[in-house]
Amino acid sequence: MSEAAIDEMVDGRGHLRQHWRGLLGAFSMLGDGGLAERGRRLERAFAEDGVTSVMPGEARQSWQMDPVPFPIPADEFATVEAGLAQRATLLSAILDDIYGKLTLLADGSLPPALLYANAHYLRLGPAPLFGPKLHLYSADLVRGPDGAWQVRADRTGQAGGIGTVQENRRQLTRVLPEAFRALGVRPLQPFFDRWQEALRPLAPPGRANPSVAVLTPGTGHKLWFEHMHLARVLSCALVEGGDLTVRDGALFLKTMRGLQRIDLILRQMDGSLIDPLELDADSWIGVPGLLDAARTDSVRILNRPGSAVVEAPGFAELLPSLCRRLLGAELKLANASPDTVPSMAPCLGAGQLDAHPVVWRAFLMFDGTAWHMLPGGLARVLAPGADRDHPGVAKDIWVLHDEQNDIIGPIATPTPRLPLRRNAGELPSRVADNLFWLGRTVERLDRVARLGRAALARLTRLATPRELVELQALAACLIDAQVIDVEHAAPASLGPALMAALRPGGAIDALFASVARLTEKVRDRLTGDMYATFTQTMRAAQAEAIQPDLDGTRLGIAAILRFCTAVAGVAAENMVRGGAFMFLDLGRRIERAQAVTHEVSIVLNLPAARIESGLLLALELCDSAITYRSRYLNVLQAAPVLDLVLADQGNPRGLAFQLVAMHGLLDELGSESGVREMLAGSAAGLLAEVEMMVGEVLAAPDQASAASALPKRLADFIAELEGLSSRITRRYFAVLPEIQRVGTGETLMLRGAA
Amino acid sequence: MRYKIRHETIYAYAKQVDLAAHMLHLSPRPLDFQRVVRAQVTAEPTPTRTRWGLDYFGNQVCWMFLDAPHERFAVTLDAEVEIGFPSPPMPELTLPWELVAGEAMQAAAAEFAFASPMVLADSGAGAFAAPSFPPGRPIMMALLDLTARINREFAFKPGATTINTSVAEVLRLRAGVCQDFTHLMLAALRDHGLPARYVSGYLRTRPMPGQPARRGADQSHAWVSAWLGQAMGWVDLDPTNNLVVQDEHVVLAWGRDYGDISPVRGVILGGGAHSVKVGVDLEAI
Repeated sequence: MSEAAIDEMVDGRGHLRQHWRGLLGAFSMLGDGGLAERGRRLERAFAEDGVTSVMPGEARQSWQMDPVPFPIPADEFATVEAGLAQRATLLSAILDDIYGKLTLLADGSLPPALLYANAHYLRLGPAPLFGPKLHLYSADLVRGPDGAWQVRADRTGQAGGIGTVQENRRQLTRVLPEAFRALGVRPLQPFFDRWQEALRPLAPPGRANPSVAVLTPGTGHKLWFEHMHLARVLSCALVEGGDLTVRDGALFLKTMRGLQRIDLILRQMDGSLIDPLELDADSWIGVPGLLDAARTDSVRILNRPGSAVVEAPGFAELLPSLCRRLLGAELKLANASPDTVPSMAPCLGAGQLDAHPVVWRAFLMFDGTAWHMLPGGLARVLAPGADRDHPGVAKDIWVLHDEQNDIIGPIATPTPRLPLRRNAGELPSRVADNLFWLGRTVERLDRVARLGRAALARLTRLATPRELVELQALAACLIDAQVIDVEHAAPASLGPALMAALRPGGAIDALFASVARLTEKVRDRLTGDMYATFTQTMRAAQAEAIQPDLDGTRLGIAAILRFCTAVAGVAAENMVRGGAFMFLDLGRRIERAQAVTHEVSIVLNLPAARIESGLLLALELCDSAITYRSRYLNVLQAAPVLDLVLADQGNPRGLAFQLVAMHGLLDELGSESGVREMLAGSAAGLLAEVEMMVGEVLAAPDQASAASALPKRLADFIAELEGLSSRITRRYFAVLPEIQRVGTGETLMLRGAA
Repeated sequence: MRYKIRHETIYAYAKQVDLAAHMLHLSPRPLDFQRVVRAQVTAEPTPTRTRWGLDYFGNQVCWMFLDAPHERFAVTLDAEVEIGFPSPPMPELTLPWELVAGEAMQAAAAEFAFASPMVLADSGAGAFAAPSFPPGRPIMMALLDLTARINREFAFKPGATTINTSVAEVLRLRAGVCQDFTHLMLAALRDHGLPARYVSGYLRTRPMPGQPARRGADQSHAWVSAWLGQAMGWVDLDPTNNLVVQDEHVVLAWGRDYGDISPVRGVILGGGAHSVKVGVDLEAI
């Protein structure tokens, strides 16, 4: 270390720097331990908003943020903004040349290896792509020992992190409002407003209200949160390659209401992956034909595929000469050398402020005319071991107001009025599919928890002979639900089998894993509260249900039921009755209808003389015992029981209720009238059938015998219900057959030659 | 020489394909020494959208998009070309290979001196080629020697490799088909700092009178184009048949390796298992 690192807060003579005074003043107002308390709150806020994953088997850690912001004075910001705007202009000019005339190579300004041995150099052919090559640019800055900001790395590919900046700011202003007010910090929103505004003219000509989509590799990607935040701050769709399709040279989003045109893609995946037809054939996350659509200016892709080529470290050292050559000016911001010692900024440590080296990631956006810099950014504390994949602790950059001139007026250009929309609109098919299966899986979990609880209640006391019969029926139901194997049906092995099903690797644990996976996949459709309810109650339920003994398990399993109820409740109270809710609900209704029918047919599979215990069990499993008692007191007869669990449209746990709900949902969802009538009609037909079955039991001279004969009739009914379920799946979700490549894979064997 | 070409590719799918996109490098490249009299690419079923253009390397490329469900896709090139490759230079008069390598980085040929996705840097290939490249040897002599050695030391064995077989694997197997020998030779030349490109095309089906039957004649063929320096440009060599390309080959396209210019490549939605049938006929007229 030749030169000592600069301290951001204290100058060389040990005096507090001017722009830190307000901040430290605000901290002191918080009192002893106040800042540490805010730090804990911040940590909790991130954990609650779920910037952690519930995906099993993935040790993604919670987003970590330091409550001490990094203030930047207005004049210093202006210097950096001018420097980075110049750098972005220069990099754009270099990209124009590289993907244009390539004079820099011909005249020896660029060594060939910088392009030809560069994986980000894309060979797209002479037909131009439209729109600026660089739209979003970010740079990692460090303050060197001389006090000037230097550029450590240029990011021209996907420039990740800007969505996260907005999220950090939101959380920090919530836990530290005093400091934010005291300092006069420039807000971020005007930048995002301007950005949204800038996207309109960047779309292909003639699109008054262009539809913009953020293209993400998917929920499995480590920056998916960033992509989700970005889509939110820009109010545009978040899409994966599988959601899109190119038809006749135009790009469309596959939605439940058909294909919807996309005009502008904000690319958040590697450029070489966006079109498996022309580029990386191994990419399963791209859209075949996307480049063809882009070449006709039917859709624009920002940043342009291949923009990352100038990120290669070799370019940075050439920038000073290229700047003179291309812009006729000196490069304003110098490159940091690898051994530049970054400045140290105070961070909350154990009870006091510790100084750590910090890197500032700044973001700039090109609106078609000029570059604009986000008045803020993502500061990263360089803890040992932090790198691109493990960003370590984040800090919020606070750009301070210049007292004289910082009046931000409204954006000049008016936005065209949006037509009001109240329908399900643009739900991507993939999202609907995931919601449908989320609904089904949560319901399946509810079903197995109810069955498990009923079985454990009998296993944990000395069971009467009648209860032994019931246990047999419950074991059959659990086998039907694929929770236990046939060989564990005996009372002695049923309990341990249930406990095993709850433990990692067991059948119930696998259901939890599915719920977690599906929740992640539809995460951008859930509000923060909903997501928190889903994940937190689920974690609690999962933990509580694992107990060392049968009785503990019986009590613990109730937590699973609470989770399922919470999901239903939060969905009912928080989701707009549009497509997303309808598919979640449709999944639930179909699953529950199947469960009720299966269970009734299993528990009634008894001789007429012993049908009573089957009827009681049916009431218990449908959570209908209390209702029955209030209607019929203690008189147990087959027809009233079956009416309540099968035909009563008012019983939310009964079959008829599900069929009525399905009928309503299908009627509302279907767009082509023929399909709608067919599906909704099937649901209505099933309803009529179940009413007839119950009517026949009621009219039978011997209700017990009639009930005992019911399982045979229900078998056909189950098959019909199964048929309806698969017709629904085919109608709404069969839009995504598997993708395969031809001509480049192993399948094409070379017979003679190639 | 004038040739009539027919190249037919037929995909048969076990299940219906809902959507397909194909990129074809299936049209002879017009060159100073290759006049394209006519070239027609037809497909069955007729694509919803067909677009023509040039690729990065200046080859003709055709994109075909099919929106209607189909269980079979056939694409056929019918063409007529007139060729007259220039005679190769006298080997003794070419530059020492080191000088060629020295010139490479200042020339447009530079791109072809670098490793590429299917021809990764392979020092094994360089070591194999080394005996052909003693110091100061004129490049054409070295190239002819290397071409002959590959032809002699590697068995032409259809089925021994696939289109994804690496150069290292080919070196180990000492066997392969034209694509493998071409990739091997590219890796060997690039390891010596020499620009070399992959050429895809055809070889006449029936040999010239008095010539032995050629290998790979009823299929797509591939060979190497090697750079002799700024003054002499490129020369084409066929390691599979130990030939300097002259009057028996027709050029479709060139690139860094097979991946840049595979004649038919596509992405399909659905389809299940599929089979492909390829037939090539190059008739002298």
